Amino acid sequence: MTIASTSPHKLASARDLFALTKPRVMSLVIFTAICGLLAAPGSIHPVIGFTAILAISLGAGASAALNQWYEYDIDAVMKRTANRPLPAGRMDRETALHFGIGLSVFSVLLMGVAVNWLSAAILAFSIFFYAVIYTIWLKRSTPQNIVIGGAAGAFPPVIGWAAVTGDITLMPILLFAIIFFWTPPHFWALALFVNSDYSKAGVPMMPVVAGRQSTRKQVAGYSLVLAACAIAPFAIGATGAVYGATAIALSVAFTFLSFRVGVSKTENPSAMKAEKDLFKFSIFYLFALFGALVADRMIFT
Amino acid sequence: MSEIDPKNAAMSPEEQKAYQAKQKQRAAIMAGLLFFLVVLFYLITFVKINSSIS
Repeated sequence: MTIASTSPHKLASARDLFALTKPRVMSLVIFTAICGLLAAPGSIHPVIGFTAILAISLGAGASAALNQWYEYDIDAVMKRTANRPLPAGRMDRETALHFGIGLSVFSVLLMGVAVNWLSAAILAFSIFFYAVIYTIWLKRSTPQNIVIGGAAGAFPPVIGWAAVTGDITLMPILLFAIIFFWTPPHFWALALFVNSDYSKAGVPMMPVVAGRQSTRKQVAGYSLVLAACAIAPFAIGATGAVYGATAIALSVAFTFLSFRVGVSKTENPSAMKAEKDLFKFSIFYLFALFGALVADRMIFT
Repeated sequence: MSEIDPKNAAMSPEEQKAYQAKQKQRAAIMAGLLFFLVVLFYLITFVKINSSIS
């Protein structure tokens, strides 16, 4: 074996190792995990709660590192990702792999020892799901990749919930479903106006494989399922009026924007206002919905 | 067994300086992280013992 890392150009800087964890994506993971933790019935000691969020964040960072280790070839082709540490040549792949595996093992053990082993098991499965099932297996082989990848991003609130209660009930499953059904409209809206980048990389994104019109119809369809899942916690009486009113208002707006995408016929990415509006609103939607969930719990308990 | 890549074995003084600066930065951050973990594990132990007593 050759130690290429002895080159100063290949010795990863701390900044690049941090970048490998996709900190921007991690912020959403941390937010939804905190919401799951705060919305769960029961209480958790602040130190243990902090440790649970830390373990979830480290697990998400580990998944991102493993994702970039495997996808360095795709990242090099796409403008948005070409400056990441691996395609830019600032780090060797072996470092990324070791970093990802090390962080995965540490995050799961930390969760198991400090919080509980159910949370640790779900965290371990979510890392495996994102790194192996999504990144290695399905991302390059099916246009449903985003739907499947959405499941990996849907685990954090479930883990946060399990950290407090030590079990899984219908409510965390609904939180999982909300993120799961939110992901396709969110990412496909983005993929519709950055389509060329994905096709260049050979990733079978829905707009590339099925065409823009079919994708737009699916975005509208998923928004209806999402609305049903978002309103369900209120409908079954698991949350109060604060969450209920917020979920209904946000879901009506999300569905409207999704149907605007559904009827759009634009082929020019720079003119895709409906898609860009939906993408921007989808980020706000998730933050506001989970924020309302926590606010509701704080008010009604 | 590992061996040094001959292409990278010889570094210019500038490269060596950059290499050592990166090493120093990583070591400092690692020391900070280890200290943080020592404190965290101390607190976790404290909380766990307390909750098992009560």
